[in-house]
Amino acid sequence: MTATLPPASQSDGLAEPDDSDRRSAFSRITSRVPRSAWPLIVFALLFLIGGIIRPNLLSVDSLIGTATFAMILAIASFGQTVAVIGAGIDLSVPNTIAFAALSFLTWSGTIGPVPALFAAVGAGAVIGIVNGLVVSKLGLTPIVTTIAMNGLLFGIVLLSFKNSELTVIPDFLTNITATKLDLFGVKIAAVLPLGLALLVVLQLILSFSGFGRSLFVVGSAPETANLAGLPVDRIRITSYALSGALAAFAGIVIVGFYAQASATMGASYLLGSVAAVVVGGASIFGGRGSMVGTLGGALVLGQVATLVSVANLGSNIQQLIYGVIVLIVIALYGRRGSE
Amino acid sequence: MTATVTPPPTIPPVQKRAQGGLRGFWNAQPVVRLRREGAMPPLAAFLVFFVVYVIINPELLTRFQLQTASNLVVPLAFAALAQLLIVLVGGIDISIGAIMSLSNVVFATAMVSLPVPLAILAGLATGLVCGLFNGFLVAFGKLPAIAVTLASAFIIGSISREVMDRPGGGITEQFYLATSGELFPYMPVSLFWLILAAVGLWLLLQRTALGRHIYGVGSNVESVRAAGLNARGAQLAAFALSGVVAALGAIMLAGSTLTGDPRSGDPYLLNSIAAVALAGASFAGGKGSILGTILAACTLGLVGNLLFFAGINSYWQYVIAALIVISVVGIPVISRQISTAVRGIKA
Repeated sequence: MTATLPPASQSDGLAEPDDSDRRSAFSRITSRVPRSAWPLIVFALLFLIGGIIRPNLLSVDSLIGTATFAMILAIASFGQTVAVIGAGIDLSVPNTIAFAALSFLTWSGTIGPVPALFAAVGAGAVIGIVNGLVVSKLGLTPIVTTIAMNGLLFGIVLLSFKNSELTVIPDFLTNITATKLDLFGVKIAAVLPLGLALLVVLQLILSFSGFGRSLFVVGSAPETANLAGLPVDRIRITSYALSGALAAFAGIVIVGFYAQASATMGASYLLGSVAAVVVGGASIFGGRGSMVGTLGGALVLGQVATLVSVANLGSNIQQLIYGVIVLIVIALYGRRGSE
Repeated sequence: MTATVTPPPTIPPVQKRAQGGLRGFWNAQPVVRLRREGAMPPLAAFLVFFVVYVIINPELLTRFQLQTASNLVVPLAFAALAQLLIVLVGGIDISIGAIMSLSNVVFATAMVSLPVPLAILAGLATGLVCGLFNGFLVAFGKLPAIAVTLASAFIIGSISREVMDRPGGGITEQFYLATSGELFPYMPVSLFWLILAAVGLWLLLQRTALGRHIYGVGSNVESVRAAGLNARGAQLAAFALSGVVAALGAIMLAGSTLTGDPRSGDPYLLNSIAAVALAGASFAGGKGSILGTILAACTLGLVGNLLFFAGINSYWQYVIAALIVISVVGIPVISRQISTAVRGIKA
C-alpha cells in the first residue's frame, strides 16, 4: 500500500503541478514513517500547540493528565482494534463495558475481587464468542450482529442489576487503577503502567503470534486466507472473543478509576472507541491497525479534549471536533480501492 | 416459510382446488416480488405478533390505544425507511439518529417564530442537507459509508445540542392533532401520513428510473456504471432522500411528543438497523422491501408495549428485539444446514 503512494499522489489531479517534485520527495520520506507513528507525531504537535496557547499546558502534570484520560480510552479501544483488523467492528463495546463493570461489582461482594475480575472478563469473552459465531456461522454482518448484541446486553443489564448505580469499589481494584504511584517524583495513576503493560502484551500477540499474523490475513483477504488453509471462522471468533474480553476489562478499569458504575456508563465509548482506532491508522476495511496506533489515536483525542476544555468550549464542541478529525483521517487514507 | 404452504404429497381432490388457489396467490407477481425482496418473514412475524398482541391485550383495537400505538411506531417506521434507502445502495447510516435529532430541534425551534409550513420546510431541509453531506462524501469522496456516517453522527449530534440544549420548542396543540390525532374514528392520522409517504416512496423506487438505479447500485455498481448510468448520482440521491425521510420521522416525533429534544433521535439508530435487518434486506445492498420494513418497524416498536400489557418487565424488549433480529437471519441458515445434513445422511 504505502509503496504505491508517491506515484499515486503525483498523478493525482489535485496535486499542484509546480511543487510535485518537492512533494514526491517529501512523500517518499513520509512513506517511510510507520503508520502507527503518525498519531504520536500529531499528538506531539498538538501538545506543543497547547503549550503555545497556554504555556502552563507544557508541563509533565498536564501530559500525565491527558495520558491518563487517553489510556482509559485506549484500553476501551484495544478490543475494537482487534475486531477492526479482522475486517469486523464491535459496536457492543458500550454495554459490554457496563455489563462487566456492574457484574464485577456484584460478584466481588460474594466471591472476592480477583475471581470476580476473571469471571467478568470471561463473561466478556463469552459475549464476544456469541458475536463471532453469529457473524461467521450465520453470516449476519458485524455491524448488525454487534448492534443487536449491544441491545441484548442493555436489556440484561437493566434486568439483572436492580439498583443500576453501584459505588462500593473493592480496594484491590482501586489499587490497580486509581492509586497514585510515585515514579521519580512524578505522581501517576496506576492505570497508566497497567495500560502500557496490556498494550505491550497485545502488540506482541498481534505482531508475532500465529493468531495475530493470521488475523491480518483474514482481515485483508478472507478468500485468500481460506484458500491458504487458515481456519478463517475460528480466527474471526477468537478475534471477537478477544474484543469482548478486552471491553469487559475496560469496563472494570473504568469503574475502578472513576469509582462509579451505571447502566449507561459505556455510552460514550461506542463512537469513541471506533474514533480512536480509526485515528490510530487502522483501516475500517480490515487488515491494518496496531495497538500502538490506537494508543496514539486515543492520545490525539485526549489532547483535543484538553485543548477544548482549556478553551472553554464545552463537551459539545469536543464531539464536533472528534467528528471532523475522523472525517479528515478517513479522507487522508480511508479511500475505497482504486476506481 | 415455504414449508407451511407447500402441499403435502397426498391431497384429497376437493382440497386440491383450494391449494391451487393458494398456490396461484403464492405465485402472483406482487407476491413473488415481496418474496424476492425478503418481505415474507417480517410479514409472518408481524401477523403472529399482531394476533398475540390482540389476544393479550384486546384493548389495542380501541380508538385511544390504536392512536397511541401508531404514534409510537410511526417515527420508527420513518427511521427504518430512511435506513433502508442507505442499505439499498450498499451502505449503512450510523448518523440516522443524529439527523433525526437535528431535524427535530430545528423544526421545534422554527415553530416558535415561523408559520407551520415554513417550519416543516426547515425541518425537511435540515434532513436533506445532512443526507447530501453524507452522500457527497460517500459517492464522490469515495469514502466508506460507515466511517463517514460515524463521523457525521458526532458532528450532527453536537450541532443539534448547540441548536437546543434542553427539550423545548414551540409545538402547538393543533400540530399534535394534525400529526398524531385521528383522521376519522379508528384511523390515526400518523398512520395515514406513513402510508402516504410509503406509497410515494414505493412509486419512486419501483416506478421511476432513479428508483431502479438505486436498487441497481446496491446489487452491482460495476454493471450500472458499465451501462452508462450515473451510479454516483443514484447513491447521492439515496442519501438525500434518506435524510428527508428521517426528517419526516423527526417531525412526526416532535408532533406526537409536543417537544423538540436534542437527544430524541438517539434510540432510532439501533432500532432502525434492527428493523431493516428484520425486514430481510441485504446489507450488501440491492434487496429490501418497503412493506417489509414498515411491518418490521411495527413489530419491533410494539414489543415493549406488548410486554407491558402481558405484565412482563418491559426491559425484556431489548433482549427480545435482539433475539428476533438474530433468529430471523439465523433460522433460514440453520434450517438449510440441517436439511443439507439430513440429505447427506439419506444419501
